[in-house]
Amino acid sequence: MPLKQYWNLLVDYLKPQRDNVIWLAIALLSSIGLQILNPQILRYFIDTAVAGGSQQSLFVAALLFTILALLSQVLSVAATYFGETIAWRATNALRVDLAAHCLNLDLSFHKSRTPGELIERIDGDVTALAQFFSQMAVYVLGNLLLLIGILIALFWEDWRAGFGLTLYSITSLLILVRLRLYSIPYWAAYRQVGAEFFGFLGEQLSGTEDIRANGAVSYAMHRFYKIVQRWLPIFHKARLTATVLWGSSVGLFALGNAIALAVGAYLWSQGALSIGTVYLIFYYTNLLRQPIEQIRTQLEELQQAEASIYRIRELFQIQSKLTISGNQLLSANALSVDFQQVWFSYESPVKQIREVREKDCIQTPEEWALRDISFYLPPGQVLGLLGRTGSGKTTLSRLLLRLYEPQKGSIYLGGVPIQEARLTEVTQRLGLVTQDVQLFQATIRDNLTFFNRNLQDEKLLQVLEELGLSGWLKSLPQGLDTQLEADSKGLSAGEAQLLAMSRIFLKNPSLVILDEASSRLDPITEKRTERAIDKLLKKRTGIIIAHRLQTIQRADKIAILEDGKIIEWGDRQQLASNPYSRFAQLLKTGLTEALA
Amino acid sequence: MTDTQKISSWLLLWKAIKYQPRLYFTDSILWILISSLPAVPGLIIREFFNAISGASKLGFSLQMSIALLLAVTVGQITVIFMGRLTKTQHRFTISTLVRHNLLANIFQRPGGLPLVIGSETGRTLSPGEAVGYFREDAKQIEDNVALISEVIGEGLFSVVAIAILFTVNAQITLFVFFPLLVMVAIVHQAETQIKRYRRASRQTTERVTGIIGEMFSAVQAIKVTGSQTNILNYFQQANEKRRHLMLRDRLFTAILYSVYRNLVSVGTGLILLLASQSMQANAGTLTVGDFALFIYYLTFVTDFLGFVGTFMAFYKQTDVSFERMQTLLPGQSAAALVDRKPLYLKELGGRQPQLPPVEQPKGDRGEPLQELTASNLTYYYPGSNCGIAQINLKLVRGSFTAITGPVGSGKTTLLRVLLGLLPLQAGEIYWNGRLVTDPGNFFVPPRSAYTPQMPQFFSYSLRDNILLGLEASETEVRQAIATAVFERDVAAMPKGLETLVGSKGVRLSGGQLQRAAAARMFVRQPELLVFDDLSSALDVETEKLLWERLFAHKSTGINNWQPTCLVVSHRPAILRRADWIICLKEGTVEAEGLFKDIYPEGS
Repeated sequence: MPLKQYWNLLVDYLKPQRDNVIWLAIALLSSIGLQILNPQILRYFIDTAVAGGSQQSLFVAALLFTILALLSQVLSVAATYFGETIAWRATNALRVDLAAHCLNLDLSFHKSRTPGELIERIDGDVTALAQFFSQMAVYVLGNLLLLIGILIALFWEDWRAGFGLTLYSITSLLILVRLRLYSIPYWAAYRQVGAEFFGFLGEQLSGTEDIRANGAVSYAMHRFYKIVQRWLPIFHKARLTATVLWGSSVGLFALGNAIALAVGAYLWSQGALSIGTVYLIFYYTNLLRQPIEQIRTQLEELQQAEASIYRIRELFQIQSKLTISGNQLLSANALSVDFQQVWFSYESPVKQIREVREKDCIQTPEEWALRDISFYLPPGQVLGLLGRTGSGKTTLSRLLLRLYEPQKGSIYLGGVPIQEARLTEVTQRLGLVTQDVQLFQATIRDNLTFFNRNLQDEKLLQVLEELGLSGWLKSLPQGLDTQLEADSKGLSAGEAQLLAMSRIFLKNPSLVILDEASSRLDPITEKRTERAIDKLLKKRTGIIIAHRLQTIQRADKIAILEDGKIIEWGDRQQLASNPYSRFAQLLKTGLTEALA
Repeated sequence: MTDTQKISSWLLLWKAIKYQPRLYFTDSILWILISSLPAVPGLIIREFFNAISGASKLGFSLQMSIALLLAVTVGQITVIFMGRLTKTQHRFTISTLVRHNLLANIFQRPGGLPLVIGSETGRTLSPGEAVGYFREDAKQIEDNVALISEVIGEGLFSVVAIAILFTVNAQITLFVFFPLLVMVAIVHQAETQIKRYRRASRQTTERVTGIIGEMFSAVQAIKVTGSQTNILNYFQQANEKRRHLMLRDRLFTAILYSVYRNLVSVGTGLILLLASQSMQANAGTLTVGDFALFIYYLTFVTDFLGFVGTFMAFYKQTDVSFERMQTLLPGQSAAALVDRKPLYLKELGGRQPQLPPVEQPKGDRGEPLQELTASNLTYYYPGSNCGIAQINLKLVRGSFTAITGPVGSGKTTLLRVLLGLLPLQAGEIYWNGRLVTDPGNFFVPPRSAYTPQMPQFFSYSLRDNILLGLEASETEVRQAIATAVFERDVAAMPKGLETLVGSKGVRLSGGQLQRAAAARMFVRQPELLVFDDLSSALDVETEKLLWERLFAHKSTGINNWQPTCLVVSHRPAILRRADWIICLKEGTVEAEGLFKDIYPEGS
């Protein structure tokens, strides 16, 4: 059963590299041939020497031995070259496939996994497979051929020797293969704790500031000790299973030698063999060692690879919780937004993931993030969404972007049910600026375009100009080609926010969602963006999520959310003039401070 | 102790080995046995062939040789099991020690300082990339230490084998040393190349893991912009580059290894030639048994030579690993990586050691803050002219000071420099008139606590995230949470304070994060509270409530706690409330004073 999986994986990823695979096979097979040939030269050498053969033939034999040795080295380098090329091509393809798969999973998947953990699973597990791709199949096959070749050579010398050692080889392989199966779960457990440990480290490294400033270094180290204390016994167990395999093979080889010597001694005493041939049988038996050991180590690699394959397969099998998207197009003009009795909870998709670990974060079923949300926003209008933190404002925007799917109710964009619209359409027609700005350790250009290389520089410069960032851009040594540093540490939060706004300006969305987009901006910078936002919202539908009242002055409609429910809805002007509305009260308490 | 002075990796490895000398000694003995026991079968086999050809000196029967062979194997297997046990323990100890020391030393640096590779290039590492140092480089050290005892074991075996062979035939034996000498010379030549290739391939690996990390940190942004294909193309490019460099690295290592093997093979050819002459001319001196012994041992000795070659190449890579890890600790010597520090690991046959209690903030809030002054604070980010210059600051007990200013004016930098999260380049800080020499270690609870603009939470329970090891009563925790206006949120969480948060648990909203971080500060009741823009993710009402509750504390002095506050904010209500406002622009103080001075009425 698992063999079939390996086979499928192999075929999928090796097919595109047929030529390399063939070259690898040639290199390996030739070196096998040389290995069977070598002892024949030795026997000839001994026989000639003992029989007092000519100096010249001994010289030729020694020379031939040396040449064959050189040749086999050249072949082994060639095999390395082809093997590594195949391995890296195949694993790179697998890495990209896995990354693509994970990127397409909905957010409930990402919520439960740290980026560090995904690094371990996409790079760590796949790297463990590199051996599998490069050598395993060819090596296992090649070594089996070598094994068979040696056994045939032994039969050639004497059938009894051939028979005894064939029986021995089969038994040894069976025992070693059996032992392999037994250690898989131990290695899987080992890597699991490893992933947890490195995930922990990743978190610590991004939180050094919090840890230092709040005097929590000792606590972080305490956590460190606790994980390694748990990790050590698991490491011991995993390694012990490998030791069992090693010990067995040592024992088996000694047994092989004993058999060869016993058979040789018997046949010699019967007068059936010469001393030279007894030595040859002994030599071949030792040569059996290599294929059996190679097959064993390949199988050991396979154990690790198998654990990785299981985990990779598990990852591939996780399905997006979103229903399959339809194929409808959205209007290129401003879109209306229509929510009809929408209920949503973060918790139920989490529950479906069958992972024990996540039991810890399951919420009670009553934990609705949105309850019975209905509203209609006509095309071209702007909605101001207000509410305390955690009242569901951000959730609402996530549903619009199809990052999650509501449990009940429906959402229409420009009259099209959202799940029937093509997903690329949704991302193309909607633009979102969030509070958390994620930047890549790449050039400013790539950060602006999200690696879309088709956008013209003029367009970028124009957008930056509009947002008042051109002065900042000029201060950079290499302009658009300047590399941003990891964690955007070279960039202030406000600058990062402005960059994120620029991204939206670069597309031409029909619906713009600003999620506390200006929260990090100081009043001066904020004013700079006002004009730009005005322009962005022109002829487009907009949803502005804000804590600050000032930012929603351009809204046509206002919705106030509390605990996932809309508690107030109406025209901004009307609400503002109605002294009993929540909005008017908010204006009274908040507006003074929103306007400096 | 400067970072320019490089310590040899041998010394560092030796220091690592000395961490557990007894375990290492036992392990080495076992490994010497593991690698030298195969010498015995060689002698038995020689006797066997001598017996067959009638040249036996010891008079073993054939059956006896075979029985002996099996007996030795049983011994061998026993030693293997013991040796693997000690090796596992020692391997784990070494990599854990290196990881521990790397982490502990990173914590010793100013916490706001990014991790940078090499001071001259100044490229910042993402946490994902930095984890690579913990994963691969520590493993490299672990492997190297493990290899040392194996190489010693095989070396001893080779010496013994050569000695035996020498007694059999001195002339042939001498030729074994010949390839060894040539090989050492070659490794010396190839040294710089190995290092360069290794470094380059490591860097591309970092880049790949870095991209994966960034990709999944930004997954939402990628999805909403529909940039999956673009980012995957970018990822693929990095993968391709890694493949090229990796291939070069591996191929070079393979060629080098093959060169050793070739030299050995040529040597073997020569030996064959010489052996033939001995066997031919005076058949009495070299028996078939001797010849079998020669070939048997030769495999081991040549394997050892190949192993030495691999080991030396491996050692060069270890050198690179030490160097890489050391660059994460500027100003520190690499010896810090292998310093003797307790790890609390269970020893073989021992008990699980008790962990020490988590260190608590010392004393009764230390020395109460009367006045904190700072003068001439200056810091420029490396390689740029961004930063702050010559900033003076004065905070008196119980006061509320606000820092404001446009984006990029240095507000956060000022806080970081003051708290020692970035190193001071110029300026002094005085706490009650006394000079603070090491701000990073001084500005911690109970003196001060800090919430960055984007507080970091860990995959622990909410309680553990707030306490971070602090011992506090349930009431104190609840009180801190209430002051932070976080009690409703906690009550709404499925398991209350025990809810798992962080990236693996319930994801907190921006406002929840900031209030949880505020609670984290309040529960420590520090003298000085430093907030970096608390209002950025909080709505008006919630923030108002938070300050009201905190000021209530201040005015009543509950538990004698009268914190002094330093905040970054843009909110007029906060600025209006402030006792003093510092307005920054381009890294310097543009204006300071009361609200009415800075924002005259009507503007």
